[in-house]
Amino acid sequence: MTLSAADFAFVSALVRRESSIVLGPGKEYLVEARLIPVARQTGAASVAEFLAAIQRHPDPVGQSRIVDALTTNETSWFRDQDPFTALTTQVLPELIANRAANRHIRVWSAACSSGQEPYSLAIALRETLPAGWTYEILGTDISGEMIERAERGEFSQVEVNRGLPVQKLVHNFERVGAHWRVMPALRRTVTFQRMNLTAPLPALPPFDVIFLRNVLIYFDVETKRSVLRSMGRLLRPDGWLFLGAAETTIGVDDNYERVVAGRTSAYRLRAAVPVGTAGKG
Amino acid sequence: MHAIVIDDSRAMRLILRRILGQLGFDVVEAEDGQAALNVLEGMEQKPDLALVDWNMPNMNGLEFVTAARDNPQLREMTLVMVTTESEQSQIVRALAAGAHEYVIKPFTSGAMVEKLALLGLVPSGASL
Amino acid sequence: MSVQYVPTVADLNEIVEQVWASYLDPEGVNPLIPVESAADASDIHASVSITGSWHGHVVVACSNAAGKLAAAAFLAMEPEEVTEADLIDVLGELANIVGGNVKSMLPAGCFVSLPHVVSAPAQANHWPAAVQVCELAGLWSGESIAFSMWQSRELTGEAAA
Ligand SMILES: C[S@@+](CC[C@H](N)C(=O)[O-])C[C@H]1O[C@@H](n2cnc3c(N)ncnc32)[C@H](O)[C@@H]1O
Repeated sequence: MTLSAADFAFVSALVRRESSIVLGPGKEYLVEARLIPVARQTGAASVAEFLAAIQRHPDPVGQSRIVDALTTNETSWFRDQDPFTALTTQVLPELIANRAANRHIRVWSAACSSGQEPYSLAIALRETLPAGWTYEILGTDISGEMIERAERGEFSQVEVNRGLPVQKLVHNFERVGAHWRVMPALRRTVTFQRMNLTAPLPALPPFDVIFLRNVLIYFDVETKRSVLRSMGRLLRPDGWLFLGAAETTIGVDDNYERVVAGRTSAYRLRAAVPVGTAGKG
Repeated sequence: MHAIVIDDSRAMRLILRRILGQLGFDVVEAEDGQAALNVLEGMEQKPDLALVDWNMPNMNGLEFVTAARDNPQLREMTLVMVTTESEQSQIVRALAAGAHEYVIKPFTSGAMVEKLALLGLVPSGASL
Repeated sequence: MSVQYVPTVADLNEIVEQVWASYLDPEGVNPLIPVESAADASDIHASVSITGSWHGHVVVACSNAAGKLAAAAFLAMEPEEVTEADLIDVLGELANIVGGNVKSMLPAGCFVSLPHVVSAPAQANHWPAAVQVCELAGLWSGESIAFSMWQSRELTGEAAA
């Protein structure tokens, strides 16, 4: 019961159109496995039957379920550690020196999945910024389901085991039933919004730091380039961009240069205005 | 690197031994806190890491952690509780007694590796 | 007096799903499929008792075959190689994990006992003084497993009064 070539083509075209994620040949098995629970939920007897129905009567809810099922939402707290260490030991001290006038830091977690990344950022900023400073964090993702989960700010036992230092767990979360809920003081500093990074981006005030991690890998090079370009417009001239460990701007978008940040690298806009004369944004 | 796994369940010791073994640790086992203290007493080179269950017969994990903290010879050993005890108040108690990290059961092997990476005992980004 | 939170079948389900994801089905290919009742999940009973502000028991019951499958998954061996001692150890640890997580949802100040594992005939009621508050029954590789919570009667009466 493997997927027919036509069904696979239909799904990969749909997913590509809606999210720019490329499902190349060889992903048939993945598509089938991920769609089994979706098909079951709708009462269809098989993935083939579910796909036949949706091709006959296109329905946006079913379509967005397909897209949701085929995006990988894998994430964890302080993922890979090094970017967060670089943030607190190098990036924030520099920003603190440069933003003395308004004492406010804006961070964007683009493709935030279920929220571990933006809340990790919030914890890092809360622990690092001196008294009198404020910050705000925007978390966005293409998946409505992920945004809903992130907004709820509740994580299972298994999720809090993954990369969250226990001291940070007891300081920033409270136990409710089987879950751990982000404390209100932290929750308030993060806002969430559904956003497709490959569609035209809304007008947003620029950010000091952007985490765009583990999402470019799903796009082809043209899409990567256009995402990097449009996000560059939302990064402050002296801001910082962090990508996933397997991602780079090199060979994709020359407007960025790679710089050492602690034990990892980050990316900065080449035409960066010298430190201290950055515009007000 | 050396580790001691302290749990009254043989299955759980085996799971932990498997994970640590794949990360290159030499592992010894003990089935409760008292047995662990006895094993440690006789060891020339003390382990770098102890994974400690909470609820065990004879001497429980909290008592073991307290005893290990009070023993100058075991001061360098990193103590990680691995337990179903997961109320905030219990976690705070274990930390106050001297535990460095805390893994709540059930845990995936990936989560265990990530916790050890947080402690600097395996390289960050390590996986099985 | 604030109302006591008593874990529900949804809570049990969440804990059980996490156990499957962690030890019994890490690849996510062989889930526990819920069924109405698991009458033949009665060869082995593993339980922990909870005392303190809540009194009762958390029980894992299963068929022999399910028990062997679980032990084999935990111990990374073939079901045929599983010994009686392996079965007792693994099911005891399962009861400990589920029971410990249930305990953590109860009001502060509860204690969970060490696990107790028995081979029991069908329908044996181990706690005549306790009533079942919820049960999660399922099939795993076609074999029956059930997780249940039992509350001691004295306290049920008190809470209702
Ligand atoms: C692997 S997760 C990465 C989460 C987090 N950034 C991290 O590094 O742990 C990838 C996320 O990208 C989201 N995503 C995929 N395509 C997207 C798009 N076109 N626009 C916005 N988000 C997208 C998915 O929904 C998923 O939550």
